[in-house]
Amino acid sequence: MSKKKGNAADLAPSRKEKKGIGQYILGFFLLLYTLFCFLPVLLVFISAFTDEKAIMNNGFSYFPEKWSTAGFGSVLKYGSQLLTSYGITIFITVFGTFLGLLVMSMYAYSMSRKDFRLSKFLSVFVLIPMLFNGGQLSGYIIFTSYYHLKDSLWLLILPLCVTTMNVIILRTYIANSIPSELMEAAKIDGAGEYRTFFQITLPLLKPSMAAVGFMMATAYWNDWQNALLYITSDNKKPLQLLLVNIQKSIEFLLNNTNVPAAARAAMGGNIPQYSATMATVLVVIGPIMVVYPFFQKYFVKGLTVGSVKG
Amino acid sequence: MKSFLKNTWKHRAHVIMALPAFLILFFIMYVPMAGLVMAFKNFDYSKGIWASPWCRLDNFKFLLASKSTFITMTRNTLMYYVIFTALGTFLNVVLAIAIDQFVFKKAAKTMQTLMIIPVFISYAAVQFIVYAFISTDTGILNKTLGMNIRFYSTASWWPLILTIVKMWNSVGYGSVLYMSVLAGIDTELYEAAEIDGANKWQKIWHITLPALIPMVTVMLLLSVGNIMRSDTGLFYQVTRNSGVLYPTTQVIDSYVLNAIFKNSNFGFTAATSFFQSVVGLLLMLFANGMVRKISPENALF
Repeated sequence: MSKKKGNAADLAPSRKEKKGIGQYILGFFLLLYTLFCFLPVLLVFISAFTDEKAIMNNGFSYFPEKWSTAGFGSVLKYGSQLLTSYGITIFITVFGTFLGLLVMSMYAYSMSRKDFRLSKFLSVFVLIPMLFNGGQLSGYIIFTSYYHLKDSLWLLILPLCVTTMNVIILRTYIANSIPSELMEAAKIDGAGEYRTFFQITLPLLKPSMAAVGFMMATAYWNDWQNALLYITSDNKKPLQLLLVNIQKSIEFLLNNTNVPAAARAAMGGNIPQYSATMATVLVVIGPIMVVYPFFQKYFVKGLTVGSVKG
Repeated sequence: MKSFLKNTWKHRAHVIMALPAFLILFFIMYVPMAGLVMAFKNFDYSKGIWASPWCRLDNFKFLLASKSTFITMTRNTLMYYVIFTALGTFLNVVLAIAIDQFVFKKAAKTMQTLMIIPVFISYAAVQFIVYAFISTDTGILNKTLGMNIRFYSTASWWPLILTIVKMWNSVGYGSVLYMSVLAGIDTELYEAAEIDGANKWQKIWHITLPALIPMVTVMLLLSVGNIMRSDTGLFYQVTRNSGVLYPTTQVIDSYVLNAIFKNSNFGFTAATSFFQSVVGLLLMLFANGMVRKISPENALF
């Protein structure tokens, strides 16, 4: 469907239409919706640069009374923890995405070999987890008390590594867009199975891998749930867990009026403040905002390919 | 059998290449499936899953006995599924058609980029944004309206709040799929309609909408399989997991997550998980069967 029309990321072929008043009304509504989507994100930027007192007195605002960069100063107070968390998140995202792309494309490639009798089994095997799964509780108990992986980075990497949908997307791309004659020709020229895959198939898979890879990277970057369930030591905390913890400590201080005054004072320096919290949020979501526009065309295309089973 | 082994040996390279993903799937997805037997056991942490004594259907009796919790979370799960799917699909289609009709393509593209951004923000971060809007003392909403609504302790507000957050998060991204269908419509159809004197609305009604219907049907049916699963982050993070709000915000997934942290009530939770998985499976099979009838090329299997 999308293949015939070329790049699905393109908007509909431009038809000759009048730029009448109707178009401007339509444009107005689209702009409204765009603002609805974007303004909340903008608020993060503005609050991060707002003076703490201004927020305390007047609440969050798009037009703050006083600007300040003090929020970022407080972010630096997390200092080494923030750096560590950044490192962990980047490591998990990069390593997980590449590992996932490699193992899934190999799997998808094997699955798409036509005269391979086991390929039927492989496709059923990858499909079943989409239909049926053990749920969070059973996974939690198996991973922690049988695999003994509590507090291990593997539990941030492996659960998001191989997903049914991504395997199907890659398989569809191999089946539809990579001529099998190419692989056969390589074999006739004496290339082994592995060489055929790594030197012929893998390079041709790039567009599909860009799409899948970006979606995976986002999933890794944004994963808070596995971190919350499994990670306990500070030096393994990813960024999202840092955010969750900030929220938890705010909650704790607000809800526990019986925290002794002395303890409060002792923690005084660490009570997360509004602008500082927003600055942290900005630091966490920033990289995706920056990278995303470059990948937009790939994942839009990948989404379409995935929706149409080959 | 012999030819099968021969074929497998011939393809040994493919077996080896499939192995890593196979093993990951096996240990991460398949082994926990076996863990579901917990639902029929009197789970004891020290004995583990397999050695804990069987208790037949006792856990399910708990489930039915504790009506309020179980029914509330199942009702919420279903309620949000219906709202999100119905409203979400409607808005996806409207937005896709609106962008498609807009003749200033460059502006449309820029706006689309901004509309998709929310889907890439984790709920752990989204909850701070939501807080900035609706907190009692500092929230924009209360400050602007000069009111003092205590959103975080009033359960009745949350179906509305969560729906807005979910739509904000997903509509821009969801419409992309439908736009790619619209991009595939033959322009000659529109031209022919124009010659026949059709106006803009008639063209949308008779050409654009019918073209979208197959994709809408497929997406709706496939989503049926996920009725029992929710966007955990939305319900756990955005509501700040506040107990006061549970009557309208607790869904099965967030209940299970809480149960794991509280380390309690494993029998009840296991029974809930089992219920969730089995109902999910049945619905998925049903949905796929329907898709296969309507448009076989879109069926999952």
